[in-house]
Amino acid sequence: MSGKADGKASEQRELKALQEALAAEHAAVYGYGVVGGRIREGRRTEARSAYDAHRARRDALTREIRDLGGTPVAAAAAYALPFPVPDSAAAVRLAARLEDRVAGVYADVVRATAGERRRSAAEALREAAVRAVRWSGESVAFPGLAERAATGSASATPTA
Amino acid sequence: MPYPPPSRALTGPRRRTLFASAAGAALLVGCSGGSGESRESSAGSPSLAERVRARAARDSVGLVERYDAAIAAHPAAAERLRTLRAEVVRHAEAFGGTIGKSGATTSTSPSPSASPSPSPLSSPSPSPSPSSPATEKDALVELATAERALADRRTAALADVPGELARLLASVAAAGAVHAYLLTEGAR
Repeated sequence: MSGKADGKASEQRELKALQEALAAEHAAVYGYGVVGGRIREGRRTEARSAYDAHRARRDALTREIRDLGGTPVAAAAAYALPFPVPDSAAAVRLAARLEDRVAGVYADVVRATAGERRRSAAEALREAAVRAVRWSGESVAFPGLAERAATGSASATPTA
Repeated sequence: MPYPPPSRALTGPRRRTLFASAAGAALLVGCSGGSGESRESSAGSPSLAERVRARAARDSVGLVERYDAAIAAHPAAAERLRTLRAEVVRHAEAFGGTIGKSGATTSTSPSPSASPSPSPLSSPSPSPSPSSPATEKDALVELATAERALADRRTAALADVPGELARLLASVAAAGAVHAYLLTEGAR
């Protein structure tokens, strides 16, 4: 019988996906700290609520990983930004990028999990996708699926 | 003050790249390709997965027809709607559906690459073509409601299917929620 071994392997995959998601949420929390410092007044509340949402997801993932017997990955002391963020427009671009990244890891969590964890990851993916479009103004056909991202994106409509 | 470039701010192995775009994308692709496809048996039965997939394809085709009706009835909104419609076409295709071929669930609308000039009124589709509300605003609200309801149904359906299909359903459900946002709150 390979049932037990399969269960073990699937638990390992689950844990790995959750750890990737936690790492991305750590990065998002850090990134939104940068966003909050640069974004113009009119969008600061939105950035703040996104920051809070990512903190909540980060904490939930930390608990889930502990429940599975794992050791949650720690946040890095610092992160290299993907591009300089000197002003509000760049802050908006960074926020969109953070959400894209988060959407991707949650798509992978959906695949690796079942039941309540999968449902929760699907919800997190959906929220990230909506936040991404609020920042970028640009819809993508398959949020979180990098392998399908090559074509078909809408033309940009900056909202900053 | 802007963050210093990575080379000036090294703090040893604790410092990580937030995500250099190219490397990040490659990593995601790597993750996606490596697992999943070979484990389609991890949940549900093949026939259930096939039913969910077929249903998802039909639903997306039906949504394309709704977009076609709205585009035909409200030319002023057409440009905006075509972008979203094109994405719904891609969803239908990802679930194995086809647009523009004959068949019980397909519409007679043009393929996504063709110039969009749908005319649902002349459509010989076996099911009644959806009609669009009289005002543009109502039409957008109705589309948003349809998108959101479908996204909710897909989110519920993904509990029972194998991992790779669940991932696709979750992504398409997220896209539906994005469309609903763009059709209503995102309106200029």
